[in-house]
Amino acid sequence: MISHRVRNVALALAATGVLAQGPLPSAQAAEGSAPIMIEYVPPAQRYLQPVYERLKQRKVLEQLRDFLSPLRLPLTLRIRTLQCDDTNAYWAGRAEGLKLCYEYVDWVERLAPAETTPEGFTPQDAIAGEFVEVTLHEMGHAVFDLFNVPIFGREEDAADQIAGFIMLQFGQDVALRTISGTAYAYQQQAKESSWSRTGFADEHETDEQRFYNYLCLAYGAQPATFQRFVDSNVLPAKRAANCGREYRQIQRSFMKTIMPHVDQEQMKKVQAMQMLRPDDGIIKRDYPQ
Amino acid sequence: MRLRPSIPAIVVALAMYSLAGGWAPALAEGVANSMIDIAYVEPSEGEYRPIYERLKKRQVLEELQQFLAPLRLPRKVLVQIEQCNKDTQRYTEGGSVTICYQYIHELEKFAEKIPPDTRTARGVSREDAVVGGFVQVVLNGMSHAVFDILEVPVWGREEDAADKLAGFLMLQFGTDIARSLLNGAAFFFEASDRTWTGSDFSDTRGTEAQRFYNYLCIAYGGDPKAFKDFVESAGTGMRRPGQPSERRIDLLPQHRAEQCQKEFLDLKYAFDQTIMPFVDQDALQKVLARRDWLRSNGGK
Repeated sequence: MISHRVRNVALALAATGVLAQGPLPSAQAAEGSAPIMIEYVPPAQRYLQPVYERLKQRKVLEQLRDFLSPLRLPLTLRIRTLQCDDTNAYWAGRAEGLKLCYEYVDWVERLAPAETTPEGFTPQDAIAGEFVEVTLHEMGHAVFDLFNVPIFGREEDAADQIAGFIMLQFGQDVALRTISGTAYAYQQQAKESSWSRTGFADEHETDEQRFYNYLCLAYGAQPATFQRFVDSNVLPAKRAANCGREYRQIQRSFMKTIMPHVDQEQMKKVQAMQMLRPDDGIIKRDYPQ
Repeated sequence: MRLRPSIPAIVVALAMYSLAGGWAPALAEGVANSMIDIAYVEPSEGEYRPIYERLKKRQVLEELQQFLAPLRLPRKVLVQIEQCNKDTQRYTEGGSVTICYQYIHELEKFAEKIPPDTRTARGVSREDAVVGGFVQVVLNGMSHAVFDILEVPVWGREEDAADKLAGFLMLQFGTDIARSLLNGAAFFFEASDRTWTGSDFSDTRGTEAQRFYNYLCIAYGGDPKAFKDFVESAGTGMRRPGQPSERRIDLLPQHRAEQCQKEFLDLKYAFDQTIMPFVDQDALQKVLARRDWLRSNGGK
């Protein structure tokens, strides 16, 4: 389960079309894989209706299904957008599958800044990037569960790592937009939250830690692209020095534990997909604020 | 839950004996892991000399070599105790495991917060704090080296993974020793008065409070019956309007405790999948058959 606050973002992305349908021509699954079942469940609450309509119209789930098509799934994967009566997103287990809540999408849209922040986080990326993050984070939990992946550290951090790792495999533009949007969301939530001593007992890290973890992974993978965050001291030099190593750790873990379940040919097709469209994250506020 | 005893327990025991016990006889004959080199580097500052002398005389690292005999390492690694520029020296790929005299000195200072012959509310004695803290830093350092040398896939933060592997190994000793070690290790983080703000959170390590709760969670997750006293009882910590919370911050909150068994099973699974294939089972049985690892005389 996502941390209540952060995770909500993923949905927003979906809502706003970050996952707008790309040009993947063939959505066939990897050979021998179980199918992926998608569903947009109509919300009971009227205010969520526009979110539902938008997600459906932009075929967010269809694109997500294509995106996941290289995985050789051992059993049917169920993915739904729905009203949860909770601002969240969940991997709800093998039977219930992945649940992306309309409330979360709505929340992400509202969290976005009115204009570009001093760190360079744009309103558009704040929505698109965080939606991608929450979706991939929850998919990370799903993949760990479905493929019985050994997790030596903390699973919540592992889910952030796999989400970040995937964001970094689609070229410089997607990397910058998704990581920036993710960093923005955690930065905002960090401002809103204060941690008591027992707060540190939580299975999630603090929003500050997650903010730095994402930036560090990105800098470790693509130093030139993310150098600006080190130059401006958003990512402190002391941590930056370790990021190449941290990225290699994740890369090795991905190669050893996930790659054996990936259809390589299909993966190449997916990597050529347009993950983000130029207008993703730009939303018309067609519902009351 | 107690796993099949594994090597690490041995390490812990070793360290415990070394630090805590009067080292009456020389270290008993045992097979040492030939891939682990050791060194006690003489400190330049006189302040650390007593620690150096004590550890050397007690053959802490020799015992570590024997405890880890069943672990098949494809290349050599040096484990050394030396004076560093700071309290801790991070392991780097292909490097050596370094324990700093400064850290041990710090550990002993923290332990002195517990008056002699008393225990904290959670039951930590001064000796538990020193021994548990020392074993923690040795096993955490070895864990980083093992991840590197065996190319273990590590999901999650490596620092957390190293703490988890260290805690897992501590549990293999059986309930009583595990309690001393895990409780003592947790105490060191609990006793820290460091306040984290702003970019402090960019540290590769978790906060002391997070690491403290992680150690308690490993203990409780590994053996919920034996360590149920590490968990806040239901109903405490409730805040009445206008009243300050009465939470006990030295125990696991319920909401985390509920996760600990799953966390432990995930940890055991990761160990079995990634490390166990490198453990010589015959050698492990021999190591476990030894009964002289923990002859402590109780003194520090």
